[in-house]
Amino acid sequence: MSLEFAFYPGCAAQQVQKEADWAARAVCQELGIILHSMPRASCCGAVSLRETKPAFSLAVAARILSEAEAMGKDLVTICNTCLQTLTHANHRFQNEPELLEKINSVLRDAGVRPYGATIKTHHLLWVVTDQVDPKVLQAKIIRPLKGLRVAPFHGCHNLRPAEIYEQQEGKEHHLNRLIRSMGGVPVDYPDQERCCGFHVMLSDKKEVHEMSAKNCLSAKAAGAQVMITPCTLCDMVMGSMQEMAEKTIQKPIQLPEMSFSQLLGLTMGIPADRLGISRLHINPAVVLTTVGL
Amino acid sequence: MALQKYTFRIQRSIPVQGGGVQTKWQDFPVESEPNVTVLTLLEEIKGQQDGTLVFRQSCRSAICGSCAMWISGRTRLACKTHVGAVAKNGVVEIAPQKNQPVLKDLAIDIRPFFKRVHGITPYLLDGPEQNSTVTKSAYDQVNHVTQCILCGACYSDCTMAEVSPAFVGPAALAKAFRFVSDPREGRKSQRLADLCQPSAIWSCTRCTMCVDVCPKEVAPMEAIVKLRTRAMARGYTGSAGAKHALAFHEDIRRGGHLNEFTLMMRTLGIWETLKETGTALHLAKKGKVPSPFPHTVAGVEELRRMYDHLEQFPIEVETKAKEAVPE
Repeated sequence: MSLEFAFYPGCAAQQVQKEADWAARAVCQELGIILHSMPRASCCGAVSLRETKPAFSLAVAARILSEAEAMGKDLVTICNTCLQTLTHANHRFQNEPELLEKINSVLRDAGVRPYGATIKTHHLLWVVTDQVDPKVLQAKIIRPLKGLRVAPFHGCHNLRPAEIYEQQEGKEHHLNRLIRSMGGVPVDYPDQERCCGFHVMLSDKKEVHEMSAKNCLSAKAAGAQVMITPCTLCDMVMGSMQEMAEKTIQKPIQLPEMSFSQLLGLTMGIPADRLGISRLHINPAVVLTTVGL
Repeated sequence: MALQKYTFRIQRSIPVQGGGVQTKWQDFPVESEPNVTVLTLLEEIKGQQDGTLVFRQSCRSAICGSCAMWISGRTRLACKTHVGAVAKNGVVEIAPQKNQPVLKDLAIDIRPFFKRVHGITPYLLDGPEQNSTVTKSAYDQVNHVTQCILCGACYSDCTMAEVSPAFVGPAALAKAFRFVSDPREGRKSQRLADLCQPSAIWSCTRCTMCVDVCPKEVAPMEAIVKLRTRAMARGYTGSAGAKHALAFHEDIRRGGHLNEFTLMMRTLGIWETLKETGTALHLAKKGKVPSPFPHTVAGVEELRRMYDHLEQFPIEVETKAKEAVPE
């Protein structure tokens, strides 16, 4: 059975965090996951649109979900906030038929295919750990991490609220499972389910720097050599902006951070330039060479 | 069910002269069935192993909020938490609530938390917006927030409160929403204006942690999102947070994608953006410069028609709270 999805990378992966998009496409190619582009898909609006114009936000989400549905595919994304926004809307559409009908009447009037509420939304990380045959995944990991200590930073919006996600109770987190598959050791540290602060980065800058610095330092204190996240927004704050946080807290952090698919790509032997490794602000080379990557 | 062996790893704190506390972790072995509450086992420890252990408790029924404490990574009510559900390899880690001063062991000084709740004026005010007719549907927006028992769990796990002692916090903001939504309240607009001040509704990261940890399904973040909607609808759009939120709306209408290039300018204004030149240069070092002309999505005219339709015929989509029934 081939794995095919409508691919919704989200705004950040198409602009500032392009490497997350490149790496996701590269690992999918290796794993035989076919990603179909969504030319009509707009920005999901995040919680920003939900709080500005609640009805618009649902209509925008329905239009995106409808495009995937017309392709006959479930939707897959690499941004936690896109995932939460679209899953939240989808959860409502699937449980509130009257609401779906109201939104569909807006879509119909605008010449958009109405949404039948038949598809699911996934994170690419879940697809890799839950849907790809573990033997296939293992066979592709040709340059294992040899016990590298990897901090999983899960991010908020693919974990919460529990109400909209299928219960993961008692299951190990997806990132931890991926780290084990790659031959690394997932670092257990207290801040792994906290927030990177991305959504208030502009309005509460100092607080966001303190938040991200605390998360990184807590991972380092627990022995992390590198950090991975499933979210392009976490990547931006915890990785690209880490040195700005260092200035705010006036302490060095220097924890290499990258998207889960970048590290996975490296273990699959995909060349670093295809994974955008050189776009990372904290150079992971020193750490990765210790395990031959 | 058979008895299981657990280790309660409890953070003990003793006040020291000159203020503050001295902290150490102490292990207590317990044997119990998995469906026994953490509170029952804490009482057993206090009764049989160490009478000096201090914790708060009262109703045992998840209604007084006294026994909220940090248990295995989250703040929970000890009386509502089964030991089997939170033990990791047989170990249950227990510490006092976060973000609040510790008095002794698991007892915290709850006053800073209550001060924030008092700060939002938690009672109805007379004023020009008062409505004496209260329909049943008026409770749709109030029910879930009135379930709050002020246990402090959301404040303890709040990711913003952790770094910002000034932040009003989830419970107090949820309570503010209760007053903004009450038809009998006379000063709804004034309340919304006050809530747009720094460290209030616009400082929530929307990490959804408070929704996750609330033992009473208050969903404080949902209340905060609704407060933002109401504030913007009444024209309180001057804060950086509101401008940022509105930018998404404009961009989707314009081209479908977010214009990350101009987002900062629209959020912070020109002056503050100039001060951020260092950040922009820092990102540019690695080629991280968003295009000022993001690609326009196919069918953008559909989005505009959807927007026009909704502007002409607004529809009500807000989530409603479940009917409040006593447990």
